[in-house]
Amino acid sequence: MKKLFTIVSLIVITALALSACGGGGTQAEDLLAQIMERGTLIVSTDPNYEPQSFLNTEGVRPADTKCASDQLTATEMQGFDVSVAVEIGNRLGVETCFATPSWDLITAGSWADKWDISVGSMTIKPSRQEVLYFTTPYYYYVAIAAALADSDLDSIDDLSGQAVCMGAATTYEDWANGVLDIPAEDIYYQPPANMTTVPLETDQECAQALAAGRTDFVAYVTAEPVVDSNIANGLPVKKIGEPLYLEKLAIAIDKSASLPTATLLEKLNEIVQAMHDDGTLSTLSLEWYGLDLTKAPGE
Amino acid sequence: MSTEEHLAKEKPKKSQADLLYEAQVRSRRRFSLQVILSWIALLALLIFIFSGIEFSIGSFTVRTIDLDSDFIKENLAFIAGGAGQTILICVMSIILATFLALMAALGRLSKFAPIVALSSFYVSLIRGTPLYLQVFFFFLALPQLGIILPGLWAGVIALGLNYGAYMSEIFRAGLSSVGKGQREAAFALGMTSGQMMLRIVIPQALRFAIPPTGNEFIAMLKDSALVSATGFVHELMWRATKVGRAQFNNLEALIIAAVFYWIMTLIFSSLQSRLEAYMSRGER
Repeated sequence: MKKLFTIVSLIVITALALSACGGGGTQAEDLLAQIMERGTLIVSTDPNYEPQSFLNTEGVRPADTKCASDQLTATEMQGFDVSVAVEIGNRLGVETCFATPSWDLITAGSWADKWDISVGSMTIKPSRQEVLYFTTPYYYYVAIAAALADSDLDSIDDLSGQAVCMGAATTYEDWANGVLDIPAEDIYYQPPANMTTVPLETDQECAQALAAGRTDFVAYVTAEPVVDSNIANGLPVKKIGEPLYLEKLAIAIDKSASLPTATLLEKLNEIVQAMHDDGTLSTLSLEWYGLDLTKAPGE
Repeated sequence: MSTEEHLAKEKPKKSQADLLYEAQVRSRRRFSLQVILSWIALLALLIFIFSGIEFSIGSFTVRTIDLDSDFIKENLAFIAGGAGQTILICVMSIILATFLALMAALGRLSKFAPIVALSSFYVSLIRGTPLYLQVFFFFLALPQLGIILPGLWAGVIALGLNYGAYMSEIFRAGLSSVGKGQREAAFALGMTSGQMMLRIVIPQALRFAIPPTGNEFIAMLKDSALVSATGFVHELMWRATKVGRAQFNNLEALIIAAVFYWIMTLIFSSLQSRLEAYMSRGER
């Protein structure tokens, strides 16, 4: 008995020690080289948002895909961010695969090499720049507040002293808490006094909770295209007041990646610029949003 | 007419005991029929609550929950496609959990102090922290050691470790249910303690432990929903929440998932009760 257990525990300890030493043994000299070698670009995007990125429930996984089993293929996803990511993959000459971690895991950095880049309509801001590298923006939209269509709220100041909902770890939550750290000229409105916040898992829960008759909050803050999509999907909501701030949306790379990322970042910037110049981004934006959101305001 | 013919024609008279027994069987049958009919009535009531029908009786209005039937039709097959993944996770986790539980239970009975400490430490640590947290732990912490597991495996390890800790108590009870006389008899036959465990104690303990393990499996079917929290396991719950959110139909999507969890639980419960019947027959 004694011997049996000693042997078993020795095996367990050695296995742990061995696995701790293993892994991370790649020959590629940087992340770009590894992507080319692997033949797949692993993109994280949160499939909770229509029309940015959402699941294509009719999509069939191609049999010859190089994507790993816990990644989704381009046919199983759809949306603006998805189309942009696929186009980037095409221009690199590799297949685009999608990893689907929750949003707060993406913005927190430390991706542990589970995916290469984020193409997820992420707003550039300094606190995220501490853990992530950003490319130049690939498109822009504004944040806005929305409430039930039959409510008597019609300006931002009406939200003073009220509870307002937003997705957790979003810039909307930062704005509401007065800690949004984007350039001052991009912020058009400061949050009204005594506004309280209700952070839910995603912005989408806010709109649905209001529509379902919950009264824990009176309004929600999210991206203007999200409110447009809420209205298009038949939710009884309306925008209130003016845009709150400008979101410059970019592709992100993890700073803690185990391989150097400088060449990948440079290459992505080149591709984004080329997609701006040849009108690819405008075409995709018109396709998914019905508007060209690829020009910075005042450009 | 001969006497034999006369006897054959006459109905065989039932004894008092037979009559009593038949009456009992009849009333038992009637009772289970009543249970089934009540089940059907409750199910009909449940379906009615979600029918979206609205009508008034006088000034009193009856309201029911209105679901978007188009959404359900369009997404039913997609969400159901996650059921296979759910079952796969559970089967792999229960295998891991059974192994760990057996090890931990044997460890608790060991005469070697560090082994007792190791197994009781494991059970205490895992039972003392939430499963939701453990799922994230294996997803976020192991990469720092250079172990990058696919989302599915991180989930299986978390579920297996968690259920292994709970099931070790079942296995421990099973092991201690084997009488002392059995062990003494094994020693008297000249078996080593390893042989005694493998040939005498464990086979008898398993008979005691397998039915509750089935129960744990059914509980796990539902807890596997937590594994989707990291976003890398595309099982029932993940599919339901993602499709529901993107199309603003969380309620409909979750109800579809609920129906499939329930169906799976019904199937596995009936398998479990058969297994239990089979196991108890073996005990005679």
